[in-house]
Amino acid sequence: METVAFSILLLPLLSALITLLFLRKAGNIASLLSVATSGGILVFALYLIFEGQNEVFTWQTTWMKMSSWELSFGFLIDAPARLLLFVVAFVGFLIHVFSLGYMADDDSKSRYFGGLSIFMFSMIGITLADNLIMIFVFWELVGFSSYLLIAHYFSTDEAAQASKKAFIVNRVGDFGFLIGIVLTYWAFGTVNLYELADLVDFDPSLVTTFLGLALACGFVGKSAQFPLHVWLPDAMAGPTPVSALIHAATMVAAGIYLLLRIDFMFTPQALSLLAILGAGMGLYAGFCALVQRDIKKILAYSTLSQLGYMAAAFGLGMPGIALFHLMTHAFFKALMFLGSGSVIHACHHEQDIFNYGGLRKKMPITAFTFLIGVLAISGVNFLSGYFSKDAILLSAYNFNMPVFVMLYAGAILTALYMFRLYFITFEGESRSENSSHAHENNALMTGPLILLALLSIVGGYHTLFPFAIVESLIPDIERVASMPNHMWMIVLGTFAWILGAITARNFYGRVGKEDPLSSRFPTFFALCDSKLFFDQFYGFYIKRIQDPITRFIEVMELLFISGLLVRGTAGVAGLFALIGKVCYNGKIHAYAFWFVAGTIAFLTYALGVFGN
Amino acid sequence: METVTPQHFLVLSFLLFSVGFLGVVIRRNLLLVLMSLELMLNGVNVALVSFSRTSLNLDGSLFVFFIMTVAATEVAVGLALLVALYKKRQSVFSEDISLLKN
Repeated sequence: METVAFSILLLPLLSALITLLFLRKAGNIASLLSVATSGGILVFALYLIFEGQNEVFTWQTTWMKMSSWELSFGFLIDAPARLLLFVVAFVGFLIHVFSLGYMADDDSKSRYFGGLSIFMFSMIGITLADNLIMIFVFWELVGFSSYLLIAHYFSTDEAAQASKKAFIVNRVGDFGFLIGIVLTYWAFGTVNLYELADLVDFDPSLVTTFLGLALACGFVGKSAQFPLHVWLPDAMAGPTPVSALIHAATMVAAGIYLLLRIDFMFTPQALSLLAILGAGMGLYAGFCALVQRDIKKILAYSTLSQLGYMAAAFGLGMPGIALFHLMTHAFFKALMFLGSGSVIHACHHEQDIFNYGGLRKKMPITAFTFLIGVLAISGVNFLSGYFSKDAILLSAYNFNMPVFVMLYAGAILTALYMFRLYFITFEGESRSENSSHAHENNALMTGPLILLALLSIVGGYHTLFPFAIVESLIPDIERVASMPNHMWMIVLGTFAWILGAITARNFYGRVGKEDPLSSRFPTFFALCDSKLFFDQFYGFYIKRIQDPITRFIEVMELLFISGLLVRGTAGVAGLFALIGKVCYNGKIHAYAFWFVAGTIAFLTYALGVFGN
Repeated sequence: METVTPQHFLVLSFLLFSVGFLGVVIRRNLLLVLMSLELMLNGVNVALVSFSRTSLNLDGSLFVFFIMTVAATEVAVGLALLVALYKKRQSVFSEDISLLKN
């Protein structure tokens, strides 16, 4: 088992290394190598999932040892890890294949595919890690590979800025996470997940709300939740398959997975705060998505909103449901991102949806699979999103009414902005030169779309999956199944998507080059478009508050540390040197005089003339 | 009648030493500086001999022989250096040989 676990971890690293060392100029070979690697990962992942007989597999070894303090390196493959492993390996493989088509005419393929391999390595590391420090190491590595891949088109200012923004904003969250890890080690004496679970089980009073929230900072940064959500929409400057893989299906979902791994560390207060934050994010991101023009930014805000749903599910004490939604979301959101990639590729990198239109006739497969994604995310009955989202809504309805209200409003918004995206992009008439010449992409790109569309349809039927994959979902799904108000929720859920779809149809069915919302409800449009001024606020904070403080500290440093301490001590020594230098006048008489005078001075001192 | 005591010899020794020191410090001619050095050494010799005499052992006298030997060699080497210096720089004045200063 551990050999396979090591193989799955080191295979992508090896691939990235080979790409770095030998294949920098050979982009085609590098891309094939990377795709083959992801295929190998899929095989190994399936082996790991099915060979363990549904038991928890742990294995660890000492990584480094400092006297009594030991850092271990180990694997913990339990039910949630198996599920995430499946999602990462499977979706990752499809996105690698899609990338072959999407990046076919890119100049720096080896950099792109090497980055993808590094990302797979780090993501699998998070999935398999058995202690918090290891998770943190891989946590930083996914952040790094995300930075690398967002900055793929680094010659554009937008991508360069966005990659920096993503990296720095993530650092803020990771700092809190690091503090949480240190506090955990302080309180428990271990960071091993298994031992931590045992200790908490033994004495639940060890867990504090603050500790849980500090650890959740990692989730807030990586999953782009309030207040660190600002990086994800900008991160769309990267290539579209990267957005699908990292910023929709896997990396941002790793935040939820982290919460799941440490779910015993949360007090009820911390959980309810997470639920409210998540539900608020679900609503807020929905409003932001409603007014975006860039196809990828709409999807990015939609991802934020769906991550909010997962956080809310976790906060309601339903980690299995959160994981369920993570899985279905990974399918339909990867599908829609790849669909948008297909559209962008066909329209020569045009991303404004108001420059599309009428693409359904030109790109039938993309349009049809995209529609399936839209239906799934809107929660249309019996598609994948319906099951996971209704489970979240139902548990919110039964446990926490305010959270339910926000989530339900978010669900209507989701249907609204998703159908808006669909109608504007695929229906009506073509509105620009680029989109009128679009045509369907080749099988490398449509193949993954079709597979993901199939999964988006059936992904909600958890009984269809092998037990080894969905084991972690079943307890919570059964809890939801036994809840009251089922019929009521089906009616409400159906109403939400039908309302959203009809509104979108009426409102956006026939549009020009301008958003009809901006002329009919200008105030509302402006408010949504401002995204509640978070970027401006952070910009203001950094420019007006943080920068002056750093400048003040810099002046203090110049004055006291490098001025007084460093230059000051050097100056004193220099002063003595100046005095000494006067004696070296090159006259032998003076030297003889000082020699004898010095001898006499020492002698008188030794004789005790000056007193002892 | 006043007898000659060791103190007198020490005063003589001090005077000889001081005269020699003064010569070393104020003379420009290196030949005279060397001679003044000899004078200083001899001043010390006088003191050592008188100590030897007062304490009734030969330790001091023994040192005097050493000093005389060393002084002889030192003068030989010093004069040789001086001759070499004169041949090279046509001068035996101390202010002309401050090469290391600048």
